Amino acid sequence: MSLQPPRDKRASLTDAIRMVSDGATVALGGGLSARLPMAMVRELVRQGRSGLHLVGSAHSIDVDLLVAVGAVRRCEESYVGFEQDLGLAPAYRRAAEEGTIEVAESCCATVLAQLRASEMGLPFLPVRGVRGSGVSALHPEYAEITCPFTGETLVAVPALRPDVALLHAPSGDRYGNLHLEQPYVLDERFAAASAMVIATVDELVSTDEVVASGVTIPAHLVAAVAEVPFGAHPTSCYPRYAYDRGHLREYVSAAQSGASGLDKYLATYVNGGEESYRTAVGADRLGALATWSLSTGAWQELFR
Amino acid sequence: MRWTIDEWFVVALARTIRPRETVFHGFGSPCAQVAMHVARRTHAPDMTLVEGAMYAVNPDPPFIPPTSNDASLSRGAAYSMRFEEFFDAAIRGDVDRMFLSGGQIDGYGNTNVTAIGPAGRPKVKLGGGGGGCNLSATIGHLTVWTTRHRSGRTLVEECDFITDLGHRTPLGTRADLGYTGGGPQWLVTELGVFDFRDGRARLVQVFPDVDVAEVRAATGFPLEVAGDLRTPAPPSASELAAVRSVDPLKVRTSEFSPRELDRVFDSGGGQDCAC
Repeated sequence: MSLQPPRDKRASLTDAIRMVSDGATVALGGGLSARLPMAMVRELVRQGRSGLHLVGSAHSIDVDLLVAVGAVRRCEESYVGFEQDLGLAPAYRRAAEEGTIEVAESCCATVLAQLRASEMGLPFLPVRGVRGSGVSALHPEYAEITCPFTGETLVAVPALRPDVALLHAPSGDRYGNLHLEQPYVLDERFAAASAMVIATVDELVSTDEVVASGVTIPAHLVAAVAEVPFGAHPTSCYPRYAYDRGHLREYVSAAQSGASGLDKYLATYVNGGEESYRTAVGADRLGALATWSLSTGAWQELFR
Repeated sequence: MRWTIDEWFVVALARTIRPRETVFHGFGSPCAQVAMHVARRTHAPDMTLVEGAMYAVNPDPPFIPPTSNDASLSRGAAYSMRFEEFFDAAIRGDVDRMFLSGGQIDGYGNTNVTAIGPAGRPKVKLGGGGGGCNLSATIGHLTVWTTRHRSGRTLVEECDFITDLGHRTPLGTRADLGYTGGGPQWLVTELGVFDFRDGRARLVQVFPDVDVAEVRAATGFPLEVAGDLRTPAPPSASELAAVRSVDPLKVRTSEFSPRELDRVFDSGGGQDCAC
């Protein structure tokens, strides 16, 4: 596959997500409660995608929401949950326990090695860990190899080439140059290793502006870019907004309560589109998440 | 001077860090996270602290938030590593210590954060191991911890699933498996502190409001007790001050069951330290 030619890649969120097929292997950008591609996740739900194979490092509401609506066949993350704060991921947990999704739990370092193999056009890379852990039994595709130079036994893990990576950035230009703030998590690796990158940005800016902030992911790796304000909400997208702990709590509680709670959450927040999502969350709430930078006190207040 | 178990526990974790070490904690681990900052502000100012999911090097966060990859955690750091920079450093052996916890922990220090019951159809699907199953192979030393020892379900004879590697798995020892890291060095719980002798956990300290029979009753593997069993040295005034200033939101307390948080200790006589 060639690099993406320079062109105006602006697309609507709807059109961008139409490029994701049922059954696709999807890499989700960001991690835990930071910069998850939530507007694209909600659009996948609205378009009724199914049979997805999700890959990533440590994730939370993105994976859980897709599992909750039955869009997922296989999960290959290193972690799905809401840390010690809000606990286990309700839909992911239920689906794993009922056997309605395949859980091929992985390890951050293994996923990294698999993406690097793909970036380098190699069929595999070795890792030193994994042997002796239960994780290896979840992955019959791994193979033990003997190093031809040292004689050590290592675990060969196959190249991972997602069909599509969904990445959210605070800003980017119409060509798909994206600026990210740390943590980049695996976004740069996903961008280079995946067959296609679809991006959302909170704000489309001029090329000069994105160059001045620093291009983290270059346009030649990006196929489409859609402007969606608060596109990572309820997760954070610094420097614009902190994560919305109250909303995450509301989601977790809805997902824990089963079908009726989930349906209510979907009706309130997801089904109507992104403009309706922002209205339902409320301009005051969204505005408050941007006050993190005013003072340490204001920042702390968001986490109480 | 008075302090609570969460404060003492964090101090006990902090003391497992040695000067000049490079130390890392996984996400969702506020006790370990606070402990690293306490160590850096007290006995280990020259440690290299790599902050959880931000991979920030020696930050001075204004507070610990309830999520591990918030920008507050990289405040004051001149540099944050990329994801791959951290994992490369850990795998090539440049990280000296990592904190690891688990829903289950066995006597060899193997931990399970993947699933209770059979992995194919778990009774409880836990969140997952993050980077642990590679990191635990190569990082110099592991400080394993749990705040749920008393439940009786955490320290087990055998983990239902091994996510992170201790001193020995059914496939062999760390040497057999070619692992370059030293494995678990300490296991700190809300009841006491274990070291590892010949690869097996051994109780070396109990908190003063706990007796050995309670520890034995809560421990699923045969309890080995050191001949010179002690109580952990009480926190110093500077350690307590560090805990309180690092973690004003008391995020650390979210790791404990509410009844543990009622455990209050007093050095008596206004002394800074009863040790």
